[in-house]
Amino acid sequence: MDFDLTPEQALLRDSVAALGKRYGHRYYVEQAKAGKNTDELWREAGDLGYLGVNLPVEYGGGGGGITELAIVCEELAAAGCALLLLVVSPAIAGTIIAKHGTADQRAQYLPGLADGSRRICFAITEPDAGSNFHKLSTVARQDEATGDYLITGRKVYISGVDACDDVLLVARVSKGDRLEPALFVLPTDTPGFSYRPIEMEILSPERQFELVLDDVRVPASALVGGSTEAGLPALFAGLNPERITVAAMASGTGRYALGKASAYTAQRTVWGRPIGAHQGVAHQLAHAHIQVELARLAVSKAASLYDSGRDLEAGVAANTAKYAAAEASALAVDTAIQVHGGNGMTTEYGVATLLGGSRAARIAPVSREMILNYVSQHVLRQPKSY
Amino acid sequence: MKIVVLVKQVPDSGAERSLRADDNTVDRATANNVINEMDEYAIEEALRLKEAHGGEVVILTMGPDKATDSIRKALSMGPDAAVHVVDDALHGSCAIATSKVLAAALAQQNADLIIAGAESTDGRVQVLPHMLAERLGIAALTGARKLTVDGSTLTVERQTDEGYEVVTASTPAVVSVWDTINDPRYPSFKGIMAAKKKPVQTLSLADLGVAASEVGLDGATSAVLEHGKRPPRTGGNTVEDSGDGGVKLVEFLATEKFV
Repeated sequence: MDFDLTPEQALLRDSVAALGKRYGHRYYVEQAKAGKNTDELWREAGDLGYLGVNLPVEYGGGGGGITELAIVCEELAAAGCALLLLVVSPAIAGTIIAKHGTADQRAQYLPGLADGSRRICFAITEPDAGSNFHKLSTVARQDEATGDYLITGRKVYISGVDACDDVLLVARVSKGDRLEPALFVLPTDTPGFSYRPIEMEILSPERQFELVLDDVRVPASALVGGSTEAGLPALFAGLNPERITVAAMASGTGRYALGKASAYTAQRTVWGRPIGAHQGVAHQLAHAHIQVELARLAVSKAASLYDSGRDLEAGVAANTAKYAAAEASALAVDTAIQVHGGNGMTTEYGVATLLGGSRAARIAPVSREMILNYVSQHVLRQPKSY
Repeated sequence: MKIVVLVKQVPDSGAERSLRADDNTVDRATANNVINEMDEYAIEEALRLKEAHGGEVVILTMGPDKATDSIRKALSMGPDAAVHVVDDALHGSCAIATSKVLAAALAQQNADLIIAGAESTDGRVQVLPHMLAERLGIAALTGARKLTVDGSTLTVERQTDEGYEVVTASTPAVVSVWDTINDPRYPSFKGIMAAKKKPVQTLSLADLGVAASEVGLDGATSAVLEHGKRPPRTGGNTVEDSGDGGVKLVEFLATEKFV
């Protein structure tokens, strides 16, 4: 068992950390509050190949795995710049297109995803179905004359649509008398495709959107994998990378919060000694630190299993990591605010700014409760609850 | 154009550093060892010259086995190859001995240009570039904040306390640079992956024809006799403002020669 990063992974970690540090949380907050994006950071990270570390070398990617992408996600978050689109564009869309796209789709989309010049968002969640893809009401029907698909439906909580060139959309198509999930990739400016921002209590330069698709016509070549058979395996391919990178990002946010908090408590002096000298303060931080470190171990394990192709084990590990990291991150942020006292709620001290984002990680992309259901049923072999 | 960049591994200047209790040399075992900060600017300058004029960039490092981490990082920024002078007998070498070893290694390289950081964050003596130029019999353009190359003519803006001086020389030459000269790049992921395949030549003292007796602690021309911890910070002065606070502040600044 080897807990060490390879020298290349260690250098990637240090390099991404240095880049993230130059931007920092203040930049992230300022961009978010001004309604701006983080394009400068995204572009610079893309030029350095950090956004496409997991994509195949033949398409301009780095040839690494989810382990490498998780390092990028964690280190940017640890610098106070958690970029949600990393989870969506290279992790989900990149993995799905690389593994299940047609040759044309790989050639068309992967080079841009690899250098960050193209961004693809991911649309699955619906108001009624949530992310249960067997209940999606967004339907694609084929126009038999042309072979085109016409897609109609509604999606909610879709991240970063305004910043993306294309959307990877989960819909259902008729197969005999049944509807089966299928994935389509289409430009976000396709006629009939509209989106509007959803007001969220999350301070982030990456916003959430509602999508409306009204008979959106896409060519048959937009069907990922070129057949409806490809739908389910393609969808499943995206799930583990999503959970692992979200977990890595949450771990990074936890590290960031505890870094701010411990620097503060070590120097903030009340009645002649730093407040960190009081166990009531220090133990809270130590406890949160241990939770974050345990989560990081779970992320490393999940990424390692995924990268070695052990998908079934990776599924359990990815869910475990996501659960652990979201809980640890929320705890770390809450603790960081608490030990800062009143300063904790200011913008200046840069910890309360993480509240919404860290809290959301306990809900999205899969809630704590759904992970507990999964573990109950698939690991502990309990009867299905729903 | 062939450019050799001198890269030294030093303890991270942003963290706690100390000397060893037994022989007063730099404690590398407990330190976070990194590329000397100023050397990253030297690497960047060499890479920009290569991008503009073509040629080759070679890293030259003298240091223990562990210095391979820094060589790898340097290579991940883009240089083509590295030379690592490593020999147990080098431990504790003074600047003069170090310049002898590096000059011997440089003599094998036939470089048009040797670029170094103006100082290392551990030794901070700033003499090595001059010593190398002297040993190699070539020009030294030191403390550059700007470097331009036109054929075989080098022009630098040499940073001084008052401003800068424009100094020129012909290749081959040694140029040392400050952190005002550029913004070093981050290693790209492709650069990181490519670095492990780049050639790193390892040389011993015997390979360079330098006797062990001329280097190391025993051969050193200077020695650290003792060392101690930095004294703890004192409380400082509190200026009570009874209407004359501003005057008192200025008096303090004037006494300390800040204004």
